[in-house]
Amino acid sequence: MLGKLMKYECKATWKFLCIANLMIVVMTIIADITVKLDFFAYDQDNMLQFIAIMVMGTYVLSMFAMVIGVAIFLVYRFYTSTYSDQGYLLHTLPVDKHHIIIAKVLVSALWIILCEAVMYLSVIVLIASNGELLETITESLDMIISLAIAEDVQLKGLAMVMTLIALLFNLFAKLLKVTACISLGQLSANHKLLFSVLYYFGIYVVQKIFTAIYFVITITMVRNDSYEMELYGWESMLVSGIIYSVVFYLITWYVMDKKLNLE
Amino acid sequence: MAPIVQCMGVTKTYGRKIALNQIYLNLERSRIIGLLGPNGSGKSTLIKIMNGLLKPTAGDVLINGQRPGIDTKFRISYLPERTYLNPGMKVIEVVHYFQDFYPDFRMDRAYDMLSRLQIQPNERLKNLSKGTKEKVQLILVMSRDADLYILDEPIAGVDPASRDYILHTIVSNYNRNASILLSTHLISDVENILDEVVFIKYGSIVLQAGAEQIRQNEHKSIDRFFREVFAC
Repeated sequence: MLGKLMKYECKATWKFLCIANLMIVVMTIIADITVKLDFFAYDQDNMLQFIAIMVMGTYVLSMFAMVIGVAIFLVYRFYTSTYSDQGYLLHTLPVDKHHIIIAKVLVSALWIILCEAVMYLSVIVLIASNGELLETITESLDMIISLAIAEDVQLKGLAMVMTLIALLFNLFAKLLKVTACISLGQLSANHKLLFSVLYYFGIYVVQKIFTAIYFVITITMVRNDSYEMELYGWESMLVSGIIYSVVFYLITWYVMDKKLNLE
Repeated sequence: MAPIVQCMGVTKTYGRKIALNQIYLNLERSRIIGLLGPNGSGKSTLIKIMNGLLKPTAGDVLINGQRPGIDTKFRISYLPERTYLNPGMKVIEVVHYFQDFYPDFRMDRAYDMLSRLQIQPNERLKNLSKGTKEKVQLILVMSRDADLYILDEPIAGVDPASRDYILHTIVSNYNRNASILLSTHLISDVENILDEVVFIKYGSIVLQAGAEQIRQNEHKSIDRFFREVFAC
């Protein structure tokens, strides 16, 4: 049933997300043409320079719009399909609640990764079309790599893979935090959405406190030479990502399975 | 054989408000049962508990001898009192959706009913009237070969001219070994198809009896009797 749930989740979300990505592609092409035609050059007409500024401004705004739009869309989709009228259908399907949560989180994660990939590609295309900028970035990268080699920093393949896995778990944790907060909000008799938002900020504050405590303890241990660990290494990111993912997953599942309250 | 539904002391409260108060109820198989009561009497709350959409504050519900869960959802075909389909989907898409998730879904039956009601399969749900959406939902629910059909206010949102057709659709399409639990306050429209009635008032069961038994003992229609029992 997990595959079927994922199939229908993709069907319900693909249109909006494809349009959002298409918007970025179109804006990238327009911005690329503006750069290639050298509208920014000092000797260009004022009107052309103005158009170039407008195009680049719109391009940057479209990036922000996509990030915010996709986040709002995915949160809204989870809420409406799970705890509003459509929840009557979802929760009377003969499927495991675990499958419902996993399907929604996996599909949302896939869309976010795709949107981020499109955004990064868009920036790379724009950089590549500007010869001067590309040269500067390439030189800077060369310098960073040579410095890294000189400092004997090991850029191990394993560390890179583990960092990617840690980033993935952090993405799951962020998505599951939203599902957990929306689910917790459903426990209140009134103002369910308001309570969901309050839970989100409450959990955010608690997470920040945990992070601060972790840094204080780790710094103390490193100073006492009793512990060797990179403060910003993938290890801490992976551990926190896994812990938060598990905790938020269990909260979502518990509410959905044991405390469902569709009024 | 055990009853299809067993409610054992089911209580549901919202804060201080008691929605259901110690409900003890057994519903037998192969019967059409009317769950009758005025607005706010607890009909929908009881139905949602049977479907696992609400958790009782106390007591237990068994469907086919099991607590509401995946197994009971395979056996119950539920029509809620609201529109629960994604409005962006086409009629044909929701038909396939039901076919994908319910092994007992009969595609031929669904298409037959859609064509009789002249509902276009390629129409998007958001373009349909409220009454037509309710008909689509009823078609989906009645196209299953379930053990228990739970229909919450199936005729409330449709015009009087369509009510007879909908009731006919219900009676002529359900699995004969199954039971139908039909909640409504429009009693005169449904009383002719009922085998049994359950009156619910202020969250408590006040009567459970055979439809014919009420007519014979009280010498009046169920609608008339209901009006007396629930007179304000």
